[in-house]
Parts: sequence; C-alpha cells; structure tokens
Amino acid sequence: MTGGLAKLQHIVVLMMENRSFDHMLGGLSLIVQNGVKKYPKINGLTGTEWNPDVNGTKVTVQPNAKFQGQLDHDPDHHFPGVDLQIFGTTDQGSGRVANMQGFIKSYATQKTSIEESHGIMAYFPPKQLPVLTRLATEYALFNGWFSSIPGPTICNRAFAHYGTSFGNVDMNVFYVQDPIVSMYERMIQGGHTAKIYYYDQQSSTMEIVNLLKNQPQIFGSYSQFKADCEGNTLPDYCFIEPCYSDHPGPGGGQILASDQHPDHHVQEGERFIANTYNAIRTNQKLWETTAMLIVYDEHGGIYDHVAPPNCDPNFPDGHSAPGDKTGTGVAFNFDRLGVRVPAILISPYIPRGTVIPGTEDPNGIIFEHACIPGTVTNFFLKNYDNRTAREKHSNNFLTPLTDALRSDDDCWVFDL
Amino acid sequence: MLKRRYKLVQKIPKTPKSAYNHGRFISSLIEHQIKHFHEVEKSLARPGEQLTEISKIKTELDASKYLKKMTARLHPQGAEKPTKIAKPKKARGEAKRKSKTNEKQSKRKRK
Repeated sequence: MTGGLAKLQHIVVLMMENRSFDHMLGGLSLIVQNGVKKYPKINGLTGTEWNPDVNGTKVTVQPNAKFQGQLDHDPDHHFPGVDLQIFGTTDQGSGRVANMQGFIKSYATQKTSIEESHGIMAYFPPKQLPVLTRLATEYALFNGWFSSIPGPTICNRAFAHYGTSFGNVDMNVFYVQDPIVSMYERMIQGGHTAKIYYYDQQSSTMEIVNLLKNQPQIFGSYSQFKADCEGNTLPDYCFIEPCYSDHPGPGGGQILASDQHPDHHVQEGERFIANTYNAIRTNQKLWETTAMLIVYDEHGGIYDHVAPPNCDPNFPDGHSAPGDKTGTGVAFNFDRLGVRVPAILISPYIPRGTVIPGTEDPNGIIFEHACIPGTVTNFFLKNYDNRTAREKHSNNFLTPLTDALRSDDDCWVFDL
Repeated sequence: MLKRRYKLVQKIPKTPKSAYNHGRFISSLIEHQIKHFHEVEKSLARPGEQLTEISKIKTELDASKYLKKMTARLHPQGAEKPTKIAKPKKARGEAKRKSKTNEKQSKRKRK
C-alpha cells in the first residue's frame, strides 16, 4: 500500500451530467508547445475526426462548443439513440462495427436543422474550461472511463450506487434486488459513514425511491457538505449531486443549475466543481486524507471518438434487458459499455500530469461506474460478497495515489 | 473568498446572469425525477388525499416547487439547515480592533 492510500480516510465522488470526454477534454491533445504536443498521453482529438451529416457531408470536430444555447434540443441519449451514435446505423445485424459515426444522424432525428445537428461534434477549447482543464492536467486523468450502459442517466447512476442497474437500461424507477444493497447501506452496516449530498430541496436527488427511505442518515444537502468539510465531519464515503434546475434561491436570489446537462450553462458547472474542490483543498487535514473523483454519468448524446469496449465475459453483470425494453428490438446483455466520459481523480498524492491509459494502449485499464462501488467497497470493507461479479472485479481507480505528498505550494486553489 | 493566501491561485469567471431561466421547459431527466417522486407521493398519501397533477409541471420553476415539497416531506432536516460550525473565539482585543476598523470603514463609505 502506498503512503497516499495508507493516509486515505475519505473518498468523494462528484457526478456531473451528460458531456463526453472529447467534448470537454478532447482539445487538450491539440495543444502544441515548442512544436510538440503538450499532453501526448491524453487520448483526445486529432482534429480530423468526423461524422457524416444527413446529406452525407463530412463534418469534422470543431472547437466551437458553447456554454449554452447550442444543444437546446437535448441530444438523444436513450438506448436506441446511443446505439445509432455508436454503430452509425439502426440495423441490428451481427456484422455491425462500433465506428462512432452516428452522432449527427442521431441528433438530426430531433428536428434540428442541418447546421444545428453539426453542433454535436463541437468541443471546448481548453481555455474555456479553466477548472476541468486545470484539474485534468494537475492530477490523474482517465483516458478510458466509460459510462456503464449505452443509455441515459438513471440506469448509469445506478451503477455508481449499486454496481448494477438490475437489468434496466432506461429512466424508469428500478427496484433493488436482494442481496445487493447500495454503497451507503453497505458502508453503514460495515461500521463506516456514507452520505449522498444533493444540492438543495428544490433540486433534490436522482436517487429517490430506494434511498430516501433511509433518510436522514444517508442524505445531506450541499451546504451540509461544505459545513462537514469545514468542521472535519465528512463521511468516509460521499457522493455529490449538482443542482439540476434553475430556481429561486433564499432571499430572492437565483440559483443556477450546475449539472452541465444541456442546455444548462457549462460555466456554472465549472464553478460548482471548483467550489467542491476548494471545500476539500482549503482544509489541509482533509486535503491530505481525501481522494476526490469527478466523473460524468454519461455522454449526453455528444460526440466521442473512442469506441466503447466490451465487458469482461468472465465477470458478468448477470442481468439482461429484453428487446422491448431496449427499444431496439434486440436484447442487451450488459456486455459492452456506453460512451466515454471525463473522469479525473484528485489527491495531493497524485503526481502532476498523471494519465491512466485506456483502450489506445494494449496495457490500458478500462473503468466504468461499477468501479465506484467496487473500489470504495474494496477499500473500506475489504471482502464483501453481496455484489455482482462485474463490480467485484472492476478496476481500482485509486491506483494513481503514490507515496509522495505534494506541498501546499504545489497545489492550486480556485478564486471564485 | 479564500481565507488565507495560497501560492497557486486561479481566478474563475462568473456565470453571466443571463444564463438563468427558470421558465425553461424541463428535460427528460427532470421529468423522470418528478415521476419517481410521484411514486413516493403515492406511497405516502393518506386515504382520500389528492395527489399532485404532475402533467401540469412544465418548467424548471414548477419542478423545483414540487421537488421541494416532496423532499421536505421525506427529508425535513435536509437543505437550508447546515450543521453549525463553532467559530474560533477571537481574543477580546482583536474583536475590539476589528469593530473599530469596521466603524472607520463604514464612516468612509458614508462620506
């Protein structure tokens, strides 16, 4: 065990909404300094990736992503839509290949104009996302973190809480099946502390039916999170939910959605990430004993160039979604992953510029949301059996923590 | 506001006020969140109690009102009530000095 892991007392997961890796961080690969790539290990964009539009015209990726207004038709990210995005066709034949060529085709089915449909290929120049860019290049960036299912939010978030979606690939309420319980219940039963922090009551949580029954032990608000950071009362494990809607705040103020779900303003999400990071970073005791993972639930229908890999058939999820549930007419056996998402691990024990290789490297490591309960359970509870084989054998995302503690002067703080 | 000096500090721009739009139509995500809460509402309803007509929830403002009502029912000790943190006591001299400085500053502002 490294020094960083030996010191680790808290794991914090912040899950944002609906943005792909290339859309948010793909531009990092295009930065050239003194004639060479500044970040050669990052598997981002080359600038030549393209998709055909509905007229068959080649549309390349463009550094013209907008904070708001570009994706106001929420891009499709339900199972059949993502299937089209990944395979470039609605044909379910056995010979099809995951070529990542159907993103514009999919967006064009949503009554977007030709020009609007090209917006799905847009990415942010790194300067426009100072928080995510800073954190991705200062700590550990995962080249190969994928959403667990080629589908929408609720089933993907279920993997982060339970290590499985119990056979669901959609947004419907799901029911927990014995003997699997949530991360939070496992932790509490094992003598540890755990919480989900939702932003406020108006925004609330996406983990509703199953978890609110366990209130108040499991739930807290974001203001509680900040108080817990300041007061050194942060639980061993916690999961943070951003604000999901624009709504009035206390005293006549205005609270902006910070989840980055289209069409919410991306800058407000940046500020929320910075705020959460600062809450940990500015308490030295907490900073030295905490690892924070920032990850997105799924790609939100937005372009990424990396074809999602298959799951290890030796360690199955054990569920299957029938064809009438997937919406494609073909059953899904939870044997391949969804589209790649941004994922960054933060700790002062992580050397600057760490990149964990993914599918581009024969020795790369694949991560998905089942790695969250997998890693947290293994770290705090050691041998714990009541979970899927997929979760139990998922890769450990804490490996970037080393022996060397970076000094206070070597770690950034955001001025908000 | 940072409470002490740090060597590496990055200034982050503010989000423009024009970004705010509580009249925005709800996304599929919030629509499903409401449906889930409606299940909770059904399970908590007393006999004869009228349930919320969730089909009338169209905007983010409508959604936030419904979610606040339901969350408060399930989690009354949730938002807006953070744990109070005991602030370190100031030395008497320091507190007096601060209040004098504040007085001077407010006089300057009044001028």
